[in-house]
Amino acid sequence: MMKSFFRTYMPFAKAGTQQMMAYKVNFIFHLIGEIMSCFIMFFIWKAVFTSTDGKTFMGFTMNDMIVYIFISFMTGYLSYSDGAFVLGEEIRDGSVSMRLIKPCSFDMCFLFQEIGNRVISYGIIFVPIVAGVEIYRYFLMGSVQFNVGNFIMFFISLQFAYLINFYFNIIYGFLAFYLKNLWGTTLIKDVIVNFLSGATIPLAFMPFALQTFLTYLPFSSLSYTPVMIYMGMYTWDKILFSMALQIFWIFAFWGISKLIWRSAIRRICVQGG
Amino acid sequence: MIQVENLRKEFKKAIKEPGIKGSVKSLFKPKTEIVTAVDDISFNVSKGEILGFIGPNGAGKSTVIKMLTGILTPTSGKCCINGKIPYENRKKYVKEIGVVFGQRTQLWWDLALRETYAVLKEIYEVPDKQYRERMEFLNEVLDLQSFITSPVRTLSLGQRMRADIAASMLHNPKVLFLDEPTIGLDVVVKDNIRKAIQKINAEEGTTVILTTHDLSDIELLCDRIVMIDKGNLVYDGQINNLKHKYGQMRELCFEMKNSDDLLSLDYKGHFTLDEDDLSIESDGVSATIRFNSDRASVQEVLKYTLAKIDVRDINVKDADIEEIIRRIYKEGV
Repeated sequence: MMKSFFRTYMPFAKAGTQQMMAYKVNFIFHLIGEIMSCFIMFFIWKAVFTSTDGKTFMGFTMNDMIVYIFISFMTGYLSYSDGAFVLGEEIRDGSVSMRLIKPCSFDMCFLFQEIGNRVISYGIIFVPIVAGVEIYRYFLMGSVQFNVGNFIMFFISLQFAYLINFYFNIIYGFLAFYLKNLWGTTLIKDVIVNFLSGATIPLAFMPFALQTFLTYLPFSSLSYTPVMIYMGMYTWDKILFSMALQIFWIFAFWGISKLIWRSAIRRICVQGG
Repeated sequence: MIQVENLRKEFKKAIKEPGIKGSVKSLFKPKTEIVTAVDDISFNVSKGEILGFIGPNGAGKSTVIKMLTGILTPTSGKCCINGKIPYENRKKYVKEIGVVFGQRTQLWWDLALRETYAVLKEIYEVPDKQYRERMEFLNEVLDLQSFITSPVRTLSLGQRMRADIAASMLHNPKVLFLDEPTIGLDVVVKDNIRKAIQKINAEEGTTVILTTHDLSDIELLCDRIVMIDKGNLVYDGQINNLKHKYGQMRELCFEMKNSDDLLSLDYKGHFTLDEDDLSIESDGVSATIRFNSDRASVQEVLKYTLAKIDVRDINVKDADIEEIIRRIYKEGV
């Protein structure tokens, strides 16, 4: 069962990697753009910290903030999923029918294809950023800050974040049924999600009531949870609780996406051809 | 092998009034109408048959194919292929069929063609040995070798179509649905593809459902055709019967010595033919008269023509299948 599952979908991962390789230049420029915006964040926060009197700003030291910026950038980058775009586009131009004539689940095909893409992303940014952040912390603090337990939990939490993002985007992709074109709404969605997930500003900077509220929404699971775990800001109790919440959201979104898909293919009106 | 009973598909279509006002109105109070794309169609196909499925643009051919392949769910009615109902348990069903939509591709756009086949091999769980044999066979009939390492986006349309057909047959399907497999191809490629279809049908006993607008595909490949128009079935039977039934049309072509001569010919009045039974085309030098030989016999028409004017050359032709179908599309059965 498990074996045939992987036999069926592994080629999608392989094809995903090869597809990524076919657009190397695109990938590299995209990455450079992302890294530049990450440094812009860095300089903005540096300005904030140098202009405040105290050593800390809302409980964060400058050092914390830098780790936060880079790790949240990495989390965002590695949990990114553009299933929504692909699905939306396929529904719009009718090529989703080519998926329907294949004996495989639509979500697993997307998932494995993206995993194939992510192999390269991991290779290129995961090790350099983690190493960079740790070396920086070592020189600043004079001792090794790296915590293996936190790191492992962070890594698992990052995978959960990706899965939530994946199914969330699949659900969002179904909007293409009604909107026909997702480009504009995607821009809005990304800004809102980045804000609510703590990728733009740490949730800790927000008023307490709002902070608590946002922690229970699925968005904090996308970025804030893994980053906090990495930084060692969470106790073990809190780590386990947040990860349970992540698992809850994975299943919730997975279930919703299945329901929508099932009703959608019943009323699908394949355009063209 | 394939049973289709009272198959029906309705679509809801939004009606939008023109202009910005219409757009705003449709946002709050969407008006829809129900369009019946396929209306009560029934037919059967037996194992190993090549069925030509034809009809004018917008007749509902593709909708029927989409229902038979499990992409669309019928509004009512039933279709059963190889004992399975396509839209129930889709994943299991599609393992047994191969599908080519001529206007789309199932190949992986950015990858070398060979990689697509490797992916398909796994998802259809084709054993290694069978895969090798199959590729050899497909390579022989479709000549894939010269471009199998190229990325699909660099293939020409003819190469892509051959590759697509090969992709649909890799897992040795029991039923093959080909929706316009020769669209936009040149004569040589068309010929190769037809031969490949014939060969696969003969060697594997694959049942083939073929839709096309190229009637020579139909004449060369199919014995039987099902014709639909505006969602309704208009003909189901042998091509030969169609010829017998509608083949009364004849074509008389001649070259005139004087271009004014045509004016002196009054077929309509002389034989009392109406619009449907007669059409005249002329470019001043030669003329083509199409007429219904039940209403005016070939002999009489020839006699009349030769008595009236001087001709350089004259000949009479049987109506070909294309002419018959043109008539049916235009006028119905």
